[in-house]
Amino acid sequence: MEYNIEDIEETFNGEIIQQLGNLEYLIKINDNEKNLKILTMSSRGIEFILDQKYHKVKYLDNTTSQMKIVVDGVPITITKHQNLNEIVFKNSGESGVGTSQLNLYSQIPGKVVKISISEGSEVKNGDVICVLESMKMQVSIKSHKDGIVKKIKIKDGGTVAKNDIIAEIE
Amino acid sequence: MIEKILIANRGEIALRVIKTCKALGIKTVAVYSDEDYTSLHVKHATEAYHIGEAAPAKSYLNQEKILDVMLSSGSDAVHPGYGFLSENDDFARLCEKNKINFIGPSSASMDLCGDKMKCKAAMLKAKVPTVPGSPGIVKDAEDAEKIANKIGYPVMLKSVYGGGGRGIRIVNNDLELREGYESVTRESISAVGKSAIIVEKFLEKTRHIEYQMARDTHGNSVHIFERECSIQRRNQKLIEQTPSPVVDEETRTRVGELVCKAADAVDYTNLGTAEFLRADNGEFYFIEINARLQVEHPITEFVSGLDLVKLQIDIANGEAIPFKQKDLKMNGYAIECRINAEDTFLDFAPSTGPIPDVTIPSGPGVRCDTYLYPGCTVSPFYDSLMAKLCTWGKTFEESRLRMLGALNDFYIQGVETSIPLYKTILNTDEYKNGELSTDFLKRYGIIDKLTADIKKDKETNKEVAIAAAVIHSEYYKSRVKDTPETNMHWKNQLGGS
Repeated sequence: MEYNIEDIEETFNGEIIQQLGNLEYLIKINDNEKNLKILTMSSRGIEFILDQKYHKVKYLDNTTSQMKIVVDGVPITITKHQNLNEIVFKNSGESGVGTSQLNLYSQIPGKVVKISISEGSEVKNGDVICVLESMKMQVSIKSHKDGIVKKIKIKDGGTVAKNDIIAEIE
Repeated sequence: MIEKILIANRGEIALRVIKTCKALGIKTVAVYSDEDYTSLHVKHATEAYHIGEAAPAKSYLNQEKILDVMLSSGSDAVHPGYGFLSENDDFARLCEKNKINFIGPSSASMDLCGDKMKCKAAMLKAKVPTVPGSPGIVKDAEDAEKIANKIGYPVMLKSVYGGGGRGIRIVNNDLELREGYESVTRESISAVGKSAIIVEKFLEKTRHIEYQMARDTHGNSVHIFERECSIQRRNQKLIEQTPSPVVDEETRTRVGELVCKAADAVDYTNLGTAEFLRADNGEFYFIEINARLQVEHPITEFVSGLDLVKLQIDIANGEAIPFKQKDLKMNGYAIECRINAEDTFLDFAPSTGPIPDVTIPSGPGVRCDTYLYPGCTVSPFYDSLMAKLCTWGKTFEESRLRMLGALNDFYIQGVETSIPLYKTILNTDEYKNGELSTDFLKRYGIIDKLTADIKKDKETNKEVAIAAAVIHSEYYKSRVKDTPETNMHWKNQLGGS
C-alpha cells in the first residue's frame, strides 16, 4: 500500500513482510525494515513498540482512502491508496471477469510510454502489454489472459482515457 | 461560621471551591443549567440544584433563582468563583440583604472597584500611580480627542463597563479615535445597555503584572506576591507565571506596599487582585482591581503554600488573616497555561463538542484544575477554558520543563486546543529569557513558529504514523478477505470483537 502524509511531500510504501511471533511483525517502510510489537489494539487505537520505542496512536476518523490519527499526541492525516500497479492488475487481469473477455481495458488514464507486444504475438496472463504514465508514475498494463494479440488499439506516445480498450486478445 | 456554601458557578472553578470545602468539612451546593446535568461539579457537590436553561442569563446569571436555591438549601454563604456574578455588586447587595455571606468584598467596595473612574480617583488620592489619561469619563468624541492629543497617541478607548479585554480599542490618530469611539459605544450599549468611555495612554511593550492581595475585616492587608500575565491574545491571558522575571525583591516589596495601600483605599475585604502595567522603563501603573478569586490563583498557591480559597472562607468568617507580611516567603517558580478549547489558526475561534477521550497530566510539581473527563462535553454556551495546567519547580527551568512534559502528556480528543501553541511559546528563547510583553505573540511571530513546529512534529513522527497505518490497513484487509487464519489472528488481538 502507498501512503501520503498531509503537509509532507513524500510517498511512503508500507507493508507487513513477516509475522515474527505473537503480535510481532517485521514491517517495511520504503526501504527500511522495522520491528513492530503490538501491545494493545482496538478500533480506537493501537499501542506498540517500534524498534524499541513505545508509541500510542489513536484512530480518529477513517475512510478507505483517508485516516486521521493522533501519533503520540500529534494529529496526522494520511491518505492511502493501493499501488496503481496492483489496482490495474486486479481490475484488468485478476478480478474474475474470466478469460473469455476479448478486450483489455485501461483502468487508468495515462500516456502511452511503451508498447511491449505487437499484433499477432502470443501472450500469457500477466505479461506486460504496455506501460502507461499516470500521475508521474509508470504503470505496466498486463494481459488478463493467455492468448494471441489480435489488435492493438493504442499508439506509442498517445494518451488513453479510463476504460479505453488497449488491445484485443483472443 | 460558614457551614454550607452555594457555589454560583460551574466548570473547573466550581470543582476547585468544592475541594477546599471538603477539606474543611463544609457542605457544598452546586447549581447547574440544562447544559450541565452531567458536569463534574454536580457530581462532586453535597447537593445539586437545577437552575435553568443553558444560556447564562437564564441560569448562572439568574440572581433570583440562585437566591431561591440559597434560601431553600439552607446555604449560609455563596462563593461566586470568577466570571458570571462574581463582580456583580447588585448580587453582592442581594446576598447582604438576605443575610447570606458573600465570599468576596462588600457590595460597596465592589461597586468602587468596578467603576474604573471612581477607582482611579481613589488610587490617585492614595498616591498609587495610574496610567496617564482622562480624569474621568469623557463627554464625547471631541473631548476624547482633546485628551488624546494632550497625552499623545497611541491611546486606548476603554468602556468602563468592559472587562476581560472587551470594550477596548487602541487608536493611533484622530480619525481612528472617532471610529473607535463609535464602535466601543455601540458594543457597550449592546452588551450592558449603557456606555461610558475613558481615554488612557497606550503604553508600548508593556508587561501585565498583577498582585494577589488579601484584606480582612479588621483592616489587615497583605500582598501574596506578583504574577506576570503578559502572554495574552486579544487582551486575554494565556500563560501566567510567578515570580515575574523583572520583579526583584526590592520591587516586589515596593509595589507590594502600593497594593496594600490600594486595598485600603477602596476598603477592600477578602481576596482580590491589583493589576498593573509595567512600562518598558520599569514604571508600574495601577490599572484595576479584580474583585474576585482570579483564574490564575493556583500559581500563587504553589509559591506561597497557601490555600487561597480557605483564606477567602476564613476572611468571610470574620477571622483575621492568620499571618503577617513578613511571614510570607516565596518558594520556587510556578507557571500556568490556560488550556482553551479554541483553534489558534482560526483566530482563536472557540471549538466545542464532545470529548470522547482525555488524559489528564500529573506528577511532581504538576497541578491540573479541570472539569474534563472522558465522555464530557465542551459547551458552546460557556467560557472556552477547559483546564488550567500549572507546574512548580525549584528553578524556573524546572518549572518550564515540567510544563512542557505535562503539555505533552495532556491529550484531549474532540476539540482544538491551545496546547500546541503553548509548546511553541515555551520553547522560544524569548520565553526562556523572560522577554515577555503583552504583544508577545505578534512581536515574536509565534503563530508562524507554531506552523513550523507542527510540520516538524509530523516529520518526526512520520514513520510511526505509517507503521500504525500499515497495521490498521492490514486489519481491514483481513476482514475483507476473510481468510480464516488471518481473521482469527486479528480477532485474538481485538479480544474476539
